[in-house]
Amino acid sequence: MNLLTFSGLIAIPLIASPLVYLAGRVGTHEATLHRRSFLVRGLALLAVLISWLPFSVAVQKFYMYGVQKFNIETIWLRVDGISLLMAGCVLFLGTLVILFSGSYMAGEVGEEKYYAMLLAMMGLMIGLVSASDIFNLWVWFEGMAISSYLLVAFYREQPASLEAGMKYLVQSATGSVLVLMGIALVLAQVGTLDMAEIAEAVLRSSVNRSSLLGAGALFVIGFGVKVALVPLHTWLPDAHSQAPSGISAMLSGVVIEIGLIAMLRTLAVLTGFALSWGIILMAFGTLNILYGNLLALRQTVVKRMLAYSSLSHMGYVLLGLGIALYAGIDLGAQGAFFHLFNHMLMKGLAFLSVGALMYGLFLQNGSHAALKVNDLAGAAQKYPLVALAFSIAVLGLGGMPPLAGFMSKWQIFVAGFETQNNWIVALMIIMALNSVLSLGYYAPLVNLMYRKEASQQVLAGKPLTLTIALPLIVMSLLIIVLGFFPNLINWLTVPAGAELMKMFGS
Amino acid sequence: MAAILVSLVILLPWLGAITVWLVRNEHPRLQHILAVVFSILTAIASLVLLTAATSETVIHIPLGKAFGDLTFVPDGLAVSLTAIAAVIGSLAVVFSVDYMRGDEQLGRYYFLVLFFIGAMTGLVLSGNLLFTFFFWEITALCSYGLISFYNDDPKAVAGGMKALIITQVGGVGLLVGTLIAFVNLGSFQISDLLAKASTLPAVSLSLIAFSFLIAAAAKSAQFPFHTWLPDAMEAPTPVSALIHAATMVNAGIYLLARFYPAFEVVPGWKMSVLLVGLISALIAALSALVATDLKRVLAYSTVSQLGYMVYAIGAGGVLASQFHLLSHAVFKALLFLAAGSVIHSVGTRDMRRMGALGSRMPLVRNVFMIGALALAGVPILNGFWSKEYILEAGLEHSPVWAYAIMLFGAGLTAFYTFRMVWLVFFGRERDQLNVHQAGSAMKFSLRILALGSFITWLFFGGLSGLLSTTLPFHALEHESTLELVSAILSAPATWFALLVVALGFGLSWVRARGFVLFGGSWLNPFVDTSFGFEWVNDLVVQGISRFAERLRATQTGELNWNIFGIVSALLVVLVVLWMGA
Repeated sequence: MNLLTFSGLIAIPLIASPLVYLAGRVGTHEATLHRRSFLVRGLALLAVLISWLPFSVAVQKFYMYGVQKFNIETIWLRVDGISLLMAGCVLFLGTLVILFSGSYMAGEVGEEKYYAMLLAMMGLMIGLVSASDIFNLWVWFEGMAISSYLLVAFYREQPASLEAGMKYLVQSATGSVLVLMGIALVLAQVGTLDMAEIAEAVLRSSVNRSSLLGAGALFVIGFGVKVALVPLHTWLPDAHSQAPSGISAMLSGVVIEIGLIAMLRTLAVLTGFALSWGIILMAFGTLNILYGNLLALRQTVVKRMLAYSSLSHMGYVLLGLGIALYAGIDLGAQGAFFHLFNHMLMKGLAFLSVGALMYGLFLQNGSHAALKVNDLAGAAQKYPLVALAFSIAVLGLGGMPPLAGFMSKWQIFVAGFETQNNWIVALMIIMALNSVLSLGYYAPLVNLMYRKEASQQVLAGKPLTLTIALPLIVMSLLIIVLGFFPNLINWLTVPAGAELMKMFGS
Repeated sequence: MAAILVSLVILLPWLGAITVWLVRNEHPRLQHILAVVFSILTAIASLVLLTAATSETVIHIPLGKAFGDLTFVPDGLAVSLTAIAAVIGSLAVVFSVDYMRGDEQLGRYYFLVLFFIGAMTGLVLSGNLLFTFFFWEITALCSYGLISFYNDDPKAVAGGMKALIITQVGGVGLLVGTLIAFVNLGSFQISDLLAKASTLPAVSLSLIAFSFLIAAAAKSAQFPFHTWLPDAMEAPTPVSALIHAATMVNAGIYLLARFYPAFEVVPGWKMSVLLVGLISALIAALSALVATDLKRVLAYSTVSQLGYMVYAIGAGGVLASQFHLLSHAVFKALLFLAAGSVIHSVGTRDMRRMGALGSRMPLVRNVFMIGALALAGVPILNGFWSKEYILEAGLEHSPVWAYAIMLFGAGLTAFYTFRMVWLVFFGRERDQLNVHQAGSAMKFSLRILALGSFITWLFFGGLSGLLSTTLPFHALEHESTLELVSAILSAPATWFALLVVALGFGLSWVRARGFVLFGGSWLNPFVDTSFGFEWVNDLVVQGISRFAERLRATQTGELNWNIFGIVSALLVVLVVLWMGA
């Protein structure tokens, strides 16, 4: 096993995870507490930074030789366009979150567990997106889920946080059981777990189509819990708002998207018969957009609002993918993946900005209160950078140019109109109007922050640190740059779109 | 050369925006200076660009299938609007030096203003519909940011949100039209749409035409989207002058004028455009009769004058609409800035508290009256020529009743203009108001614009030449200023129209002296609700938010229900899949 290849990308975080944990536990001397915490953070950051090396090697190899296959012992992995895109998202957001968490989590009880779990989750997610058989896929998926439960319920002294963790655990486990049943059904029918082999086997006449369809439904719903398809989404608003802000960013920015990739990988092997999966995806996409936007509209807790907005943004991605699968429009797949990437950027930035404010307003003052919308009033006076970053994030999410979200939504629109199907065009118009509706809750946040009269909380706020500011600057700049030059990310999104089309055989 | 100029008029203001913002609010003096310098440089570049107008594409950057080729075409329509945006933009910025002095958040203010100027020039110069839409939305973003600039005022926030949401809903029209065109033509180029419009299926073409009409009506605050502009008056006054009178609201007119050759064949389109303009012109003029807020009167009059331009396009008078657009941009910017001086100096916008201010601020009174006379269409000011030109086009190419209503509108315009001038500057003093004198930067902008109101009609020949030589699809005839003058002065309709204007003045004068011939209070309920459309807005907003509130009940927070949701979704998906098989 060569750490410089893609497997390094999985192995490095997974190896670093226990090391980071141990580094935080060895020695219980009170006096060394501070130094230990520093060591933990440093090790975690080092691990993700090193991981960029195998990533760039993997990208180069992909561009030279195409899809790569390799193994860690008996586990076969496959690096294609989708794996690279998702690995890039995980690594990028993970790096910034670890940097951000340096001050944010400093001094929390169990800081070492936080980083250990975060690193493990990253490694497992990258493993998931490159799994080449469906049982392995499930194992990676469960691993990721378990590490994320602990992160959601990280503030174990907080009842709300435990409640959120509990709901997440139960619903996610329900989903996992359904997936496992689906895998069993497939195995019973075709006798293999390798994705490529299943895809061929399902087309044979000897298989029972309706039980395979049952398996497909189980996959849609099972993974759908993680993707937060409406009405399976009910765990998400709690989990995303109760988790530490860095984790909220990871959950909304990559974890739910990884669930989607898992779903797509499993559905891809069940194509070629029955109706297109695109219809199912479009139906859930529309539901997600409508429901997410309407529920976000009346929220008073900022992180909850952002959590609901994640529902609607998954809806945009689902619509794009649905169009690609249903009508064979590769632009839809590219647009969906572009939006997935942009959502990672924008929602990650939004959660980190909220985190920065929570750090300044609450954590520094020893409180774990939730940030209410009205607490934002006048934030720009004391935290101009955070206010600007948060404005860029939410306006980008609302699809305003010249920000990245505009361009990716546009790409999905183009794909939708290209189908020349009146129903899909109608869906596109609903999507556009919903984008306008979403400004109804995003824009007031911006107005509030730029008030002159500051809220009590802002007046009592403490200054931020450089490691908190740096991720915000990086992400804000990227959102603007991609808004002007959407093609700059084509090297990641176009291969992913092409891979999706190939997976589904159209 | 043209490529460099095009880049300059878009990028200079943007560069200025970033520079002013980077300077930070601790150095307000430097911020003022930089903003003025960058906006004046942009204005100079835009004036030079007038000489380089061409129908050719000067910048061409391919961006792949989903985005088309980013192109810029500085043709006559584009460069004339660019010049208006940049020149009036620079005057508004100069005016702001006095108006915004002492404000704490100058960086944000100038950033948005300069960013807006660049976006506005980009909007008209873009040869690619996606980027027209891109810049279109940026202007909406800046407009929203500036209307709600005073974020502590809930009315300002509400006004900003309203403007944003309504123009965005209209923006969906532009998006849909653009994409229908793209699906049929495989290109986002405006020139392709114009060239191949006749090859499109009739249904597609009329969908595009009417989608664009929706977008234009929303952007230009035309019926039935006219409700946002009066509420946008919470913006700082230089912004009202620049964005909500002289430039952004013209984007809708631009869109209609740009695609007129493609859409004129669509059945019912011209008539719809004509009606939208006519209704807007009429109801806004009626609203202006009774409004008591000085800026709201000007806002209503903007809607009304934009209605004249839309009407002109509906009557086939593309050149007339652009000519009036030029005149209106100048005299309305003048009126707004002069009103801004009054408001800045007395600290209220309520005309009922003003009165007899004329003797105390003579310069402002004089320039305001020049603007007002131009608005009312009194010779020889620019508004006279362009309004008569529109009416002439209307008389020739629209039904007589439509012409009669527009003529009536001209009388109403004279009436409310006189009322406004009288209430503010003449009559008796109603309230003890402290008057500060206008600063020198303010006076500079006012003088230039007042001069402009006298002379811009002389540029008619130039404008006509630009449009006739660089718009290959519009097939406009070149007309010189002299021809315009002789045509207008020799037409009997002109004298008739002047009579109507005089009648409006006369009635208003009689009324101002206390002889009330007819009551106007019956208009109030109509005006307060924007002729019922405020109810429609409320219905939509309240309906959605009430529905959203009810929907919250579905998020029970109970695990049992959550699992029930999962299981029932599974059943539904299973049934759908098995039925589909």
